[in-house]
Amino acid sequence: MPKHKTEKSKALTQLLYDQFFQQAPFNVAIIDRDYNIIEANDNFTRYFGNWHNRKCFSVYKKQERPCSVCTQKEIFEDGRTRVVDTVVADKNSRWAHHVIQSAPLRLTPGGPVDYIVEITSVVTDTNQWQQEYNVLFDRVPCYITVIDEEYRIVRANESFRERFGDVLGQYCYKVYKRREKKCPRCPAARTFKDGKIHQSEQNGIGKDSRKIDYAVTTSPLVRGEERVAHVIEISTDVTKIKKLEKEVLEAERLAAVGQTVAGLAHSIKNILMGLEGGKYMISLGLKKDDRSMIDRGSDMLDRNFDKTTTLVKDFLSFSKGRLPQLKMTDPNALVGEIVDLYKDIAAVSNIELKARLKPKISPAPLDPDAIHTCLTNLVSNALDACLMGQQKGSEVVITTRDEKGKLIFEVSDNGSGMDYEIKKKIFTTFFTTKGGEGTGLGLLTTRKLVQEHGGKIVVESQKGKGSRFRMEFPRKRLEMLYRESE
Amino acid sequence: MTDPAEKNILVVDDEDDVRDFLKLALTEAGFTVRTASDGLEALEEVKRQVPDLISLDLVMPKKSGAKFHRELTKNKAWAKIPIIIVTGHACDDLGKADLRELTMSGPGIYLEKPIKPDRYVAAVKQVLGLETSAEEKDLADQVELQSELKNLIDDADPETLRKMKDILKKKK
Repeated sequence: MPKHKTEKSKALTQLLYDQFFQQAPFNVAIIDRDYNIIEANDNFTRYFGNWHNRKCFSVYKKQERPCSVCTQKEIFEDGRTRVVDTVVADKNSRWAHHVIQSAPLRLTPGGPVDYIVEITSVVTDTNQWQQEYNVLFDRVPCYITVIDEEYRIVRANESFRERFGDVLGQYCYKVYKRREKKCPRCPAARTFKDGKIHQSEQNGIGKDSRKIDYAVTTSPLVRGEERVAHVIEISTDVTKIKKLEKEVLEAERLAAVGQTVAGLAHSIKNILMGLEGGKYMISLGLKKDDRSMIDRGSDMLDRNFDKTTTLVKDFLSFSKGRLPQLKMTDPNALVGEIVDLYKDIAAVSNIELKARLKPKISPAPLDPDAIHTCLTNLVSNALDACLMGQQKGSEVVITTRDEKGKLIFEVSDNGSGMDYEIKKKIFTTFFTTKGGEGTGLGLLTTRKLVQEHGGKIVVESQKGKGSRFRMEFPRKRLEMLYRESE
Repeated sequence: MTDPAEKNILVVDDEDDVRDFLKLALTEAGFTVRTASDGLEALEEVKRQVPDLISLDLVMPKKSGAKFHRELTKNKAWAKIPIIIVTGHACDDLGKADLRELTMSGPGIYLEKPIKPDRYVAAVKQVLGLETSAEEKDLADQVELQSELKNLIDDADPETLRKMKDILKKKK
């Protein structure tokens, strides 16, 4: 910096300042202690019109006297700058939102404030945007809260207040769930920790004491900051959807029972036929005095009475209309048990039984006994299919994995496979391809148990190539059932 | 007149007991009887010697009754073999479609399990056009009527059934 500015450079600076003053992209005015506007730029003149010999309150507000609360007066007193948001009128008396920044000007450095410079800019657009945002925030059909690191609610939208009450400053867990402590599996806690977005399904209690199911998404209020100071919780009310889901689940269960009852009739018909045959042989034997025929008839009666017993037993276990007894279960451990159980039996028939497990698969709320039964049924079917197929290198593979939010167990074999006709019938009635050996209940029971878990069973099969039975359990449904059973 | 012993009947059923029972009933009536436990076996038997009548179960492993029948119809000589369907699936979803296909396309009637031996024999004789005793004739007629009525009732909608009931009531 040169110590001494030449006259020439001073004049240049003055010229630049003047141009800047005129061309600055906002309205600039300078006022004195008596509210007189003593200077203003072209922008100001264009917007507010003639200002010569007028006072600021007259130009800005079309008033006869100073405002009751006067920023200028305060600045002349304390010499500090101010920013205010106010409504002012242009030369045609159109009112609009402005932000006015006012700063003190001194003729002597450190001296009293002689003038004030006011920079005015229109913010009507911004303001409208703000209002629209507010309406959106309040009325969007979601519950929105912002919580601080202590889990206190610092902001809540209207939808939330309507449902949960006016609760600013209270702990969110207290408001959402009437708990005294933080919730387990809290998604907000995770967001505070890793700054990422998390989702979870929860149930809470409204201010009217009614239960509310909601799906909540938590995200940091300000993204990209190292430390998350606030988390925004956006919740969608899924109470009605949950209710519908439950009804669908119930309907599926009922349908399974209906199909079973229809199938039962068929099994009984076959047994009755056997009894009829036994009876006929005995009476024929008696008429002819044929001892061996009487014996044959009696054997036939025995067999079919036994079948009745088996059927009734299977049927009872099937008809147990109970809810699954859910507990957190390791899917891989379950499969391990089955492999242990069947490995030797499979080996005897030269079939290799393998498990292909997803490592560290998350545990799921399952009825371990029920899933055990399902896997047993599927594996023993697969082994039978391998025997029927009589191929070399037969194998049965049990797989676990997670796919699109679903826990999946799969039993596949390279045995005889099924053609279309058999495939479409396997679940419909007491269908069996094992002649007198099976009751045709295995797959039905399996399907029922799977459905009771809110899951479904899918079959792929190709004649001569093998079959693949897949049990799919949506983890969300499992969790829903789990919460209900608690 | 034809003697039952000259008539060769093939009984097809996957249930051992049912097969034995039907075979015995027919043998007692004097027929020559062969058996098969599924559609594949049955086809072999037909190839070996064309039977005069086939008593057929619908739902069986390996080759179902319907599939077996489809094979039969491909052969002109075999297509004429009269068939009696003996099934438990007549009125459920599993058997209905198969049954319709069979009764529409071929000769024969169907009997629903469980069935009494004399009624079964009577139906077989009827289909074969063998001389029957008055009693057997009655039984066979009954079976046929029943089978026909059942078909109608199974296919009828609730509204028609209600009308039928009303008409029957008036007759009484």
